[in-house]
Amino acid sequence: MSYPVDRRGFLRTTGTAAAALGLGGALASCGSTKSGPVTLTWWDYFTLDNFQPGMQRLINDVEAGVPDVKIERRTFPFAELDRQLALAAISGDLPDIAIVDNVAMNTLGGSHLLADLTDKVKKWGQADQYYKGPWDGCQVGGKTLGIPNNSNCLALYCNTRLLKSAGVKPPTTWDELASAAHRLTSGDRHGLALSAIKTEEGVFQFLPFLWQAGGDLDTFTTYGATALSFLHDLIAKGSLSEQCVGWTQQDVNTRFLDQRAALQINGPWQIPTLKKAGFDWSVVALPRDKAAATCLGGENWVVMASSKHLDKAWQVLEYTQRPSVLVPYLVSFGDLPSRKDLAGQGTWASDPALRLFLSQLPVARPRQYGAHYAEASQAVAEAEQAVLTGTASPSAAARVAAVKIDKALGR
Amino acid sequence: MPRTLSPSAHRRRAGCLFCVPGLAFLGLFLAYPLLYTVWTSVHDVELGQLLGGEERFNGLDNYRAVLDDPAFWHSVRLSLLFTLASLLLQFTLGFALALLFARPFPFNALLRSLLLIAWLLPPVVSGTLFRWMLDADSGAYNALLRAAGLGALSHDWLTDPSTSLAGVILANVWVGVPFNMLLLLVGLHTIDPALHEAAALDGANAWQRLRHITLPLMRPVSVTVLLLGLVYTFKVFDIVFVMTGGGPVDATRVLSLYVYEVFFTFFRFGHGAAAGLLLLVVPLLVGVFYVRRLRREEETTAGGAV
Repeated sequence: MSYPVDRRGFLRTTGTAAAALGLGGALASCGSTKSGPVTLTWWDYFTLDNFQPGMQRLINDVEAGVPDVKIERRTFPFAELDRQLALAAISGDLPDIAIVDNVAMNTLGGSHLLADLTDKVKKWGQADQYYKGPWDGCQVGGKTLGIPNNSNCLALYCNTRLLKSAGVKPPTTWDELASAAHRLTSGDRHGLALSAIKTEEGVFQFLPFLWQAGGDLDTFTTYGATALSFLHDLIAKGSLSEQCVGWTQQDVNTRFLDQRAALQINGPWQIPTLKKAGFDWSVVALPRDKAAATCLGGENWVVMASSKHLDKAWQVLEYTQRPSVLVPYLVSFGDLPSRKDLAGQGTWASDPALRLFLSQLPVARPRQYGAHYAEASQAVAEAEQAVLTGTASPSAAARVAAVKIDKALGR
Repeated sequence: MPRTLSPSAHRRRAGCLFCVPGLAFLGLFLAYPLLYTVWTSVHDVELGQLLGGEERFNGLDNYRAVLDDPAFWHSVRLSLLFTLASLLLQFTLGFALALLFARPFPFNALLRSLLLIAWLLPPVVSGTLFRWMLDADSGAYNALLRAAGLGALSHDWLTDPSTSLAGVILANVWVGVPFNMLLLLVGLHTIDPALHEAAALDGANAWQRLRHITLPLMRPVSVTVLLLGLVYTFKVFDIVFVMTGGGPVDATRVLSLYVYEVFFTFFRFGHGAAAGLLLLVVPLLVGVFYVRRLRREEETTAGGAV
């Protein structure tokens, strides 16, 4: 049996559909031109359920406290936000405000996508309230392109019982770390767990070793080799699993929770999960070599240069920095403040683990290397993976990486 | 002027009208993005130039930069290796299974449908599945070996740069075998059983019948299956991305992952567009070859029918 569709019927159907679409479009465009409060679009990547009450409260606070403003929030998965911003830059559909990973200041900062907040910040006069690392992470080419939202960094978690039974004290230097990790290794348990995955996450974990060795990306041939050979020795002794080249920081935490790693390098965002662990743990500063250093994580507020409401957007950012707004927001997220003046308030003043992380912010360095940092970062990740999987020697891998880094950073 | 059109003109006009949706679809979703990519590939486009619209025409500079990049050639080699190994294994196993399922046996249909599950699963799922199975500590592969007392044979497939590509190929073959089997099975059913009977009566054994009847008659189907497989496999992205993300180091960074990185990690859109178009070359050549073959086949069968 067939159902013939005549031409007129076909046209009628498609015509109706087209009219409906057109009407919908017209209605939508009416909505955006209506006067009254300014609607600011706001993008972030806080998609998890446990972030929503705090975020909703922050937005309610902002809408109540900043006159004539409405926030239209959109969330993306963590890895998608940068890409969405890039795609939006192509289509010209950028948000007014975004909360971006602090490492994104490299690509975004070199792109003219971000509004220059220098004058507004100067007038505001609160720049000296921030820790140096987080604040420096918002300065690109002498301009202030954002303000810190929250900060975190890496530290060393210790399984108290395992350390005690092995007679090991929490390590404070590389030598102590190597010997502690060695003595804590037995059976299918490794002394130390860290993430060396081939993404920014792995580089975030590796850079502290480079800085502790006394170097940086511009001296990678020498100090990269030092840091790489330290990690290589850990693998060679079995203190660190070669599998770490595939581990995310979440995987690392799982090892630690399963007590298949006695020490782990991780951030404060793991504290809520670890509090449910069936064993005691403590957290100490990352062991130092020539220098004490850790890597700065966290997010920054940015305003897009394309925004039609730059002043309003800045008002919103400024409002979020009031202690009465910022403290409850950070507490509900389990985040640490980037501001020194908040050190005495909130959960981080009393919780020993959070307090340790906060105490490390002064030595937390931002990954601030310029627009093509992503390529340098990939070179570092590949060097680390090559060494840890035994495909290259530390010095050879460091040499290869240094060439790529120099090219990427234009040195 | 005549108000009514001749029937043939009428039909032609209706025909044109019916083409409109298809053409609009092709134009919007194929021609436009493709032309935009070509445009991007000859301009200096990075994240910074997007807003200001300061994209500068730079001729073939992007192509030169990509062709000068050792990482590009490394990924081309990996893609070719991945494609050839996958096709060879998929096709051989698929053919063997098709021969098996071509003969009646109990639960034939049930088993055949179960096998198809591998092909029906989204690549993200099968990729995750294989990542877990090949995991060094908690993976099924190593656990089975250890349980069988063959712990010495256990291996960290995906974190060892020398075997990670093999691990990814294994997963891809598992996904591809049912598809190959299904198409080849259809082909086998088109072979007239009388040919086999006649050959058997003439004293040909099973091997001779396979070698001299089945294989030659399966040639057109086989070529189709291989060509389709080549196009699908060469542009593979999801299963590799999920299993290894291109690592360890760059051991599984096939061409599609290279393009993705240049685009979305480095935000070098000009280079990415150039590399993306270069990625199209192989499937495009194969596609042209395939369409021409199809047309020739249609002509010969149409000729035969007359």
